[in-house]
Amino acid sequence: MDSDDDMLDAYDDVESGEYDTSSDRDDDDDEHGHGENETDCGYLVEDDDSSTSTRCSQVNYVVLKEEDIRKRQEDDIKQVSTVFSITNVEASVLLLHYRWNVSKLNDEWFADEEKVRRTVGVLEGGSLVVAVDNPRKVKCGICFDKFRRIKIVPVVCGHSFCSTCWNGYVSTAINDGSGCLMRKCPEPSCHVAVGRDVVEKVVSSEEERDKYDRYFLRSYIEESRKMKWCPAPGCEHAVEFSATGMSASYDVSCSCSHRFCWNCKEDAHSPVDCGTVSKWILKNSAEAENTTWILANSKACPKCKRPIEKNHGCMHMTCGSPCKHQFCWLCLGAWTEHGGSTGGFYSCNKYEKAKKGGLYDEAEKKREMAKSSLERYTHYYERWASNEKSRKKAFGDLQVFLSEKIAKLSEVQCIPETQLTFITDAWGQIIECRRVLKWTYAYGYYLPESEHEKRRFFEYMQGEAESGLERLHRCVETESEVFQDGEVPSEQYFNAFRQKLNTLTSVTKTHFETLVKALENGLCDVKSQAACSKETPSKKRRK
Amino acid sequence: MICADLKVVRLILYLSWRDRLLCANSDMQQSRARLFKEYKEVQREKVADPDIQLVCDDTNIFKWTALIKGPSETPYEGGVFQLAFAVPEPYPLQPPQVRFLTKIFHPNVHFKTGEICLDILKNAWSPAWTLQSVCRAIIALMAHPEADSPLNCDSGNLLRSGDVRGFNSMARMYTRLAAMPKKG
Repeated sequence: MDSDDDMLDAYDDVESGEYDTSSDRDDDDDEHGHGENETDCGYLVEDDDSSTSTRCSQVNYVVLKEEDIRKRQEDDIKQVSTVFSITNVEASVLLLHYRWNVSKLNDEWFADEEKVRRTVGVLEGGSLVVAVDNPRKVKCGICFDKFRRIKIVPVVCGHSFCSTCWNGYVSTAINDGSGCLMRKCPEPSCHVAVGRDVVEKVVSSEEERDKYDRYFLRSYIEESRKMKWCPAPGCEHAVEFSATGMSASYDVSCSCSHRFCWNCKEDAHSPVDCGTVSKWILKNSAEAENTTWILANSKACPKCKRPIEKNHGCMHMTCGSPCKHQFCWLCLGAWTEHGGSTGGFYSCNKYEKAKKGGLYDEAEKKREMAKSSLERYTHYYERWASNEKSRKKAFGDLQVFLSEKIAKLSEVQCIPETQLTFITDAWGQIIECRRVLKWTYAYGYYLPESEHEKRRFFEYMQGEAESGLERLHRCVETESEVFQDGEVPSEQYFNAFRQKLNTLTSVTKTHFETLVKALENGLCDVKSQAACSKETPSKKRRK
Repeated sequence: MICADLKVVRLILYLSWRDRLLCANSDMQQSRARLFKEYKEVQREKVADPDIQLVCDDTNIFKWTALIKGPSETPYEGGVFQLAFAVPEPYPLQPPQVRFLTKIFHPNVHFKTGEICLDILKNAWSPAWTLQSVCRAIIALMAHPEADSPLNCDSGNLLRSGDVRGFNSMARMYTRLAAMPKKG
């Protein structure tokens, strides 16, 4: 019972949080920061409390465990059975028929009870008829054998079938699928529904009963418009979402740590909308047979031509010895050309540049429009896929860090684990940013080429965000390893590392927040920002 | 070691095979018993329903044929149509497969294969139906074609476009050609 109370409390909090958001809408920074923290909690799998629901202050959704779903289902049934003064079984039959829509059932029942009873198949005075032993034999309507009354399963409508045939009838229905929930009496002219009580009475196999039970539970979620199952394989949680119209994002994170879009059930894809995502996914599946997938998975070292598969998160590649060539995974250019120190900033997101540096000239481009469109797609797909891969890798790294490394690091550096959360935060930020960045490539692909200003602005922001993320990813991936071994025990160094990582995390966060906000309002302030974007590269150079 | 393992595997395979056979047999026993009861019923009812003549295959109780009379006041009147029944082992929990052997022009019957589109032969099947009642349902379908879910699109289109006369004459022609004794 405690857990239920928790759930209700959490539910209340969600509601009140929602009002806060609407009233403090202007106070953007504060609100956003808060929201971000909450979202981070979503994928850090720290089973910190036994609360039955994960809540999010900004978005209004509740993650439901199986017990919660059962509780709600039972509550609905109880409510209906009390109000209509019928049995629980009859109430479930009615609710199944009305797709668990209690208010619709209420309305129609009180408008015309007789009609509802007739269409659904719930007879008046419908508790189970008691079996009487009568010496006269009765013929079973399925096997046509004659039985004594006591062998006939007593049902409301009075049609006589023996228990073996009933078992066969219901088992066949259960093995045929969820249609078993809506079965009628086997007598063709009879409309009386087969309720749970009959199923439990006639089905002896534990497995089939379980199956029926599962269909019963599933129907509660699947028929509902407010609740959906988490699409992660093996996850048995459902997510209830209450649309308020305030937030454009449908992203929810299940307590199994899977983040998905509640609307289209794809992986979470804010700030890109569901339409773009579905187009992109369709496109990907159509192109999957091309070599584009292979392109995203292995590349030859630009210097020694050895094939390389990328298994670390960031784009800074170092070829194995003796080559040791350092290059950028995306553009395959030398890494020395990348980053602030050489004057050029990270620009691998710019397809225009890749095209200029590549084999293309204007005439050829015109002649090979078809080829170029594939190239263009490949460009975005590769980046989309690499970011997805990096995200998964980072997620795995975070798990390893939480399960093994954090304890070791705390021991080697003599720092309590609670003070090492800055590394966890950095990983969390990386995972979230990789996700956003991934979807911005789908967005970029569908951003019309003709909108030069928007494209430039978008690519600039994307580039900024990406380079920040690369720095952060690189820092946490390699530099934290050094302290792991205890080779640099100096507290001073560690503090410097902490400061650096904290700064990188917050810088990256800011970049991504700007990017997300810009995409969410459809790059509509491109005019005012255009001037700004022209200035900033020079500023960066000075750094 | 390997030899012993192989023996075990073989034994397991044999047992599972035997179990499946026994299972199937019990299914088969049940449906056989039920079909036999239907057979006896048919022998008794033969006179009662002159429109239907159900005959069981001499060697296989799972194969039946039926001769049904085209209902009156329809283009099928006067015709005699032959149906073939293939009864599955889980019968009556699963419906029998029925098709027309006689060519018939009807929206819900496939013109080439004779396959019938009838809900009680698919998802609306109830184990309380019998072969006899399936025949009755098919006669009812002949009298009341369902043009909105056609297997024979030409026939369905005629009815849907309201060309009852065209439909009737086509159906009548095929009844004369295929379902009536040839004169002379």
